[in-house]
Amino acid sequence: MSVVEPVFAGRVAWIFGDDFDVDLIIGVENIKYYDPDKLRSVCMQAFDPAFVTEVRPGDIVVGGRNFGYGHPHYPAMISLRNAGIVAVVAESYAPGFWRGELYQGMPLVTVPGISSVLQRWDDVEVDWKAATVRVARTGEVLQGTPPSAHAIEVTEAGGGLNLLRAQYGGGRAPAAAETVPAS
Amino acid sequence: MGSTITEKILARAGGLDRVRPGQNAPFRPDYMIAYDYPGYTDVMFRQMADDFGIDRVKDPERYVLFIDHMTTRNDEREKQMHDVTREWGRRNGVEVHEGMGIGHQVSAELGYAMPGKFLVHFDGHVSGLGAFGALGWGVRKDLLEAWVTGAVYLDVPASTQFHLEGRFAEGVDNRDLIHHIIASYGADACAHQVMEYVGPGARNMTIDRRQGLCAMAMFTGAVSAIFNPDEKSLAYVEKVARAPFEPVYSDPDAEYSAKYSIDLDALSPQVVLPGSAKSANTRPVEAVAGTEIQHAYIGSCASGRIEEIRAAAELLKGKKVAPGVQFNVVPTSQRIYAQAQAEGLLDILAEAGARVAGASCDFCVGYASPLKPGDKCVSTGVLNISGRMGSTDAEIYMGSAYTVAASALAGRIVDPREVMS
Repeated sequence: MSVVEPVFAGRVAWIFGDDFDVDLIIGVENIKYYDPDKLRSVCMQAFDPAFVTEVRPGDIVVGGRNFGYGHPHYPAMISLRNAGIVAVVAESYAPGFWRGELYQGMPLVTVPGISSVLQRWDDVEVDWKAATVRVARTGEVLQGTPPSAHAIEVTEAGGGLNLLRAQYGGGRAPAAAETVPAS
Repeated sequence: MGSTITEKILARAGGLDRVRPGQNAPFRPDYMIAYDYPGYTDVMFRQMADDFGIDRVKDPERYVLFIDHMTTRNDEREKQMHDVTREWGRRNGVEVHEGMGIGHQVSAELGYAMPGKFLVHFDGHVSGLGAFGALGWGVRKDLLEAWVTGAVYLDVPASTQFHLEGRFAEGVDNRDLIHHIIASYGADACAHQVMEYVGPGARNMTIDRRQGLCAMAMFTGAVSAIFNPDEKSLAYVEKVARAPFEPVYSDPDAEYSAKYSIDLDALSPQVVLPGSAKSANTRPVEAVAGTEIQHAYIGSCASGRIEEIRAAAELLKGKKVAPGVQFNVVPTSQRIYAQAQAEGLLDILAEAGARVAGASCDFCVGYASPLKPGDKCVSTGVLNISGRMGSTDAEIYMGSAYTVAASALAGRIVDPREVMS
């Protein structure tokens, strides 16, 4: 069972450039905070102070090439998620970011060319498993690179930890020793 | 069609005859490594017990723990964190290596990095172990998956081949090479791939330089970097190997997504502007020469090895660090520290006014000797994002040990070749 909708119908809340360092979403001075109120107060402040009030649950953000380059910390994307962002659509992802966010359960859609086609606040329909983006303004459907079966499984479970819990939680995982030695 | 060294290592780790780029499968690492760090290992220990019923792991010899971060203040917080790690290691029969230096270096010294082996860590700089013909892959929080299931699902990466010719010119090293690669081919040139270094320039390169080069792979978007085993790496590993190993090599007809040829003799010192290592921030040293600095640092998992300490000593011998500059030299491991001491290098550095510290990660992350607002630092650390080494209002330039040592003498960024000639 998936905790993630198969298709997101939302708006393009922001379009980031190439090699974008996600820590800038909250500012590098805030990358160790997890408190939701703190994260809301700093989310996207350097880009658009009205962002958190204008964004609606179900909106997405768009990235250019190599989205997540640098040394990504988790709170930046958590702040976007708290604000209502449900997916990222980017031309490509930096591997460290991609792996880290997949673990966190954020749907990551790869669509080369996406950032030059969309405009802010475009209405879009994103089928994240098929990697398609329908743009209401133009009627165009952009086709990207679908995620692997494993990435779909992780995303549908709501992230790496949730998938592991679903598979092995409550019992004894494969890595557990067969017997507990007498001590 | 043949296979790359990376494909061969993963095929073995996956129990498969062969693998192809893009294939997704579970791969069983030979070693699953972590350093203790708040929010990582303490959480993983708890999750393993509470969520997965793992009171004791089945294959303790595959788990490796290092204590190399937060080791320099000797306060209660450090002790509590490290005690949690020590206790978990004791209960599980897992080795905890502490007081030996930076894990990515100590892993090599202790013989974990054997040709043909597959090693994972949550930290991506484990790619440095590619110097030994091993595949080191930073899987971030998926390390938990490896620790819980014994394997981790990965997409088999394609490889980009870098054919190296010649030797580094005086005052130029592997650090200049990686920044040259990023500047020339892009910060995503090798995205989701492995960088494979081949050719006479690769064979000429010392182990130290190979480690430093491979450790920086992530800044081209690569998941790792690797050298095929040769006499140099085999000679190193044969002395320290902790298990039987079987070297594998790329086939002559292996497929690469791209091939580049680089003449090492033609490289010059590169400096990275504060922010990140991306292409647009990389400059020939001449372009930033004259920038005043207050801090200089040689160390990290991508530097601080004996060759970098020798380079610093060669430049500093009989001279003094510029007034107002704090120059921290941190050998990457205690073994390197002892060697540098035996060679008389640490005395030379101390007489010149450099501060030499015991091996740890703490200087690279701003935990020890943090930068103050307004400080400018020139560093061989792995990252120069704002706030990395202290204040978010400090600026970090990155370059080779030659560039850092020469700049520490001058009090401003200088071309090391001018000082050496």
